Amino acid sequence: MAGGTATAASPRRSLGQDRRQEALAGYGLIAIPMILFLVFQIGSIFFAIYISLWKWGPLGPTGLNPFRGLRNYETILGDPIFWKAVTNTLYYTVIWVPLTMALGLFLAVIVNQKIRGQTFFRAAFYFPAIASSAAITTLFIFIMGPDGLFNGLRQAAGLNPLFQLLGFGPTYNWLGESRTAMNSIIILNAWTTSGTFMLFYLASLQSISHEVYEAAAIDGASAWQTFWKVTFPLLRPGHYFVATVAVIGGLQLFDQAIFAGGQGGEPNNSLTTIVLFLFRSAISDFNFGYAAAVGIILLVVIMAATLIQRRLFGQAPSW
Amino acid sequence: MTAPAPVTRPATPVAVGPATGGKTSAASEPVGDTGARGRRILAYAVLIAYALIMFVPFAWTVVTSFKTVPDSVRLTFIPDPISFQGWDEALNGLSPGLIQLFFNSAIVAGVVTLTNVIFGSMAGYAFARLRFPGREFLFILVLATLMIPDQLRLVPVYQILVLLGLVNSNPTNYLGVVIVLAISATSIFLIRQYFLTIPRDLEEAAKIDGAGFFTTFWRVMLPLATPALAAVAILQFQGTWNGFFWPLVILQTPGHWTLPLGLFQFIGFHKTDWPPLMAVVVMATLPIVILYVFFQRYFVEGIAASGVKG
Amino acid sequence: MRNRLALPLVALLVLAACTANNTTTGGSSAAAFDPSSVSGTVVFSGWQASKDEGVALQAALDGFKAKYPKITVNYQPIATDYATAMAAKFSAHQPPDLFYVDSSVAPDWISQGLLYPLDDWASSRNFDTSQFFPGYLDAFKGQDGKIYGFPKDGNALGMAYNKDMLTAAGITAPPTTWDELVADAPKLTSGSQKAFCLSSTLDRELAFIYQNGGALLSADKKSAAIDSAASKQAITWYLDLFKNGWGDTPKNLGDDWCGTSLGKKKVAIIFEGGWLDPFMKSTYPGVNYAWAPLPKGKQAGNLGFTVSYSIGKDSANKDAAWVLLTYLTGPEGMKLWTQGGVANPSRKDVPAPAGKEVLVAGAADAHPWSFIPGFSKINDAFNNAMTAALEAKSDDPTKIVNDTKTAIDQALNS
Repeated sequence: MAGGTATAASPRRSLGQDRRQEALAGYGLIAIPMILFLVFQIGSIFFAIYISLWKWGPLGPTGLNPFRGLRNYETILGDPIFWKAVTNTLYYTVIWVPLTMALGLFLAVIVNQKIRGQTFFRAAFYFPAIASSAAITTLFIFIMGPDGLFNGLRQAAGLNPLFQLLGFGPTYNWLGESRTAMNSIIILNAWTTSGTFMLFYLASLQSISHEVYEAAAIDGASAWQTFWKVTFPLLRPGHYFVATVAVIGGLQLFDQAIFAGGQGGEPNNSLTTIVLFLFRSAISDFNFGYAAAVGIILLVVIMAATLIQRRLFGQAPSW
Repeated sequence: MTAPAPVTRPATPVAVGPATGGKTSAASEPVGDTGARGRRILAYAVLIAYALIMFVPFAWTVVTSFKTVPDSVRLTFIPDPISFQGWDEALNGLSPGLIQLFFNSAIVAGVVTLTNVIFGSMAGYAFARLRFPGREFLFILVLATLMIPDQLRLVPVYQILVLLGLVNSNPTNYLGVVIVLAISATSIFLIRQYFLTIPRDLEEAAKIDGAGFFTTFWRVMLPLATPALAAVAILQFQGTWNGFFWPLVILQTPGHWTLPLGLFQFIGFHKTDWPPLMAVVVMATLPIVILYVFFQRYFVEGIAASGVKG
Repeated sequence: MRNRLALPLVALLVLAACTANNTTTGGSSAAAFDPSSVSGTVVFSGWQASKDEGVALQAALDGFKAKYPKITVNYQPIATDYATAMAAKFSAHQPPDLFYVDSSVAPDWISQGLLYPLDDWASSRNFDTSQFFPGYLDAFKGQDGKIYGFPKDGNALGMAYNKDMLTAAGITAPPTTWDELVADAPKLTSGSQKAFCLSSTLDRELAFIYQNGGALLSADKKSAAIDSAASKQAITWYLDLFKNGWGDTPKNLGDDWCGTSLGKKKVAIIFEGGWLDPFMKSTYPGVNYAWAPLPKGKQAGNLGFTVSYSIGKDSANKDAAWVLLTYLTGPEGMKLWTQGGVANPSRKDVPAPAGKEVLVAGAADAHPWSFIPGFSKINDAFNNAMTAALEAKSDDPTKIVNDTKTAIDQALNS
């Protein structure tokens, strides 16, 4: 590391002492957060692992033979609704992550151009991310309802015949039909989160030096070619960061699903995500052990996804 | 860029990235491109269209809040008649009362923001710059906390808080919420990222001057981190202000409720009465909007500056 | 002679009086329980579905305070996600002293040992439970036969119909039997108007299953009864209402529930409960509708939706909670709670609020909406299979019955 050797100007301290002081300072500075994490987060995982082996209710182990061993996990993996939740969550993640990343990148590229009102646009695009998920989802339910703004606008714009062709009547309930409920949530979350990703990408974009673009221009590259062959690859660390954060978040989809679809994941379990399934087992059935097992499975999935991304995208400098 | 004396951080993110030298933040427009003008018009058109998509739903919310209930299901942008009934119900129908809700939210969000800034900066700096055994492992542990859904933590966290005596009807109840939200991995992550991009010259200069590690952090590095701290402050304030899960579970009396809890009960009362619901959505969003408008510059710089470098 | 006996006698009497005043939690003493002597605080929790409810509840609490000034009620409603907040409190062994329990989750809460049985006190403290409609009270009976809560109010289903539409179709009186309903249906279906808005869920269909002599579970709740011929017949009959084009789900009509469909005058008849009235009054005041009893099948049948006040096993102030409980679910308190019309009484000796007579009468035939632990999965299985059948425009009950039976068996065996 830079500056690691003892400098001639600090003869008072030996290197070992230096290092020890540095380590102490390090531990000292992270002490309080680490304690809080250990108690409230990591501790919870151990608790969850423990109770996932039991039939555990609010008052502790319950029933005749509360110890279950791995049977909770067996039941979960044999539950078709769990697999529906997995399918829904994976479908959401696989579509929402690239979509929102693309949107974010697109916005970042545009905002990065020398245009007037750049600050205004930057603010505008981030705007939907500000409101609480409850407020935004309420608003969205209102807009996408059978008598909502969206249906009204498409009627006014004369687009209804086109929609009818695709099988969507004039008062189609976008969030209420199992066909389109999840896709509507994807659109909602892409809308709100694209601004955040835009900001993340802006940083990466701004760190690409001007000379690179100049070189490309000298080689006669068009704007399109420049973007794809020069900019896009240089954004690799950006892609990695955004993708990882997005996947971790996407796999934990809950707020909008429960607001729009209720605990039952209406309609017909189309909005049931893994976390919603966990929540339901815990709160509707008071089956904490079962819910904990779902949580551990989810944790393993998220960790696996993160590690796979790390492997695929190669070296990740900022981690 | 590197000054020998204690520095005040320049306001733009200019000085941050080594690659950008003295460039201004915005312009990375490819030079020598002939279709630039046409593309720029297209860019503006797309931008304006997208900005409209961002704003129209909120404009719709505001407009609907001034309508009467039957009018609210009609697709008109002008209320007819203009009615304050929605706002009246929203302002008077919230329990325990808008002022109390705002006050409670402000306290909780304020304290949590403060702790995140303080602890986040300390830990962020340590993880970025100090060497100690197990650093990488501990940092991965920190990141792992992002992967744990709140619902999974509900029971053990609540039981710990009960053990600590923080689940009650007196003011220490707020402490329960604060403790659970006191530090978030995102705050640490953001600040660490930011410190990683600062050249080491300043620290080495401080070391030469004989400063200890903590002094270096406190006197030299922390003042430089204002954009990142501002970013953490905004993100945490916004997140805590809007958060409802832990206040719901931990706060015992309605007198302690934060704004989202009051809003939720209100939403439960008025399931499809759109005007008061939309009024309430506006009220929930307004403080953050105002905050955002004022702090936007720091915020965007903070996130952008601490994002990933190419 | 008399004087020598007097002292021990007096001592005995004093001793008896002391024991009578010693109302420790869980202890049932031989002497009479005097509620006015109890003092302390009751932490009282639940949810509020509307502002009017808060007002009505406050009226009842004010009446309580006047009668029992020694007891302070600490009302702590939960804003949203009631079960989540309660789960946390139960797990910390610190539940409120008196709280709501929804009838559909009552079996789960009872089987988890979260609630305190009330039978002993009901008998030793002279609280008359005979006046509760069985369709409501039985919802809170555990598998051990004990009662774990008293219903605070109740809702049975009724038939709400648009008077103008019926008159326009030449129907002079609302249908009273299945056959009359089926006969009237085509007359009420014309153009874009349908005769019925029908919910495709168990919480409506089950009323009709009961009316045909079927059931979800056997009487002892130890096995499924959904696969009986009577049940299947009822399901087919209900599905046929859709298949023949007379009725549709609210979703397909473009509404979030049938109340909206009635309000927007898209349908003539819906089957809902008392919750319809405040909704119609505020959102669709122009609709001319009235209530009639559910049309009868082979027998009368209805569903009873209710919520109890219950005391927790770990509650700290059980005696004070008991006094509040018996007041609120007694004739006096329940009258204060229901007279404004926010809820319908669950006791026969409390008069029905004005205009709600039909709904309250429906309680007499109501079966409790409360079954066995793990019911939420059974409910989901039935509803999903029903949605699938409707999307396929079929009236075949086989898959519905099979899926539900599988879920029932799983719940019974877990």
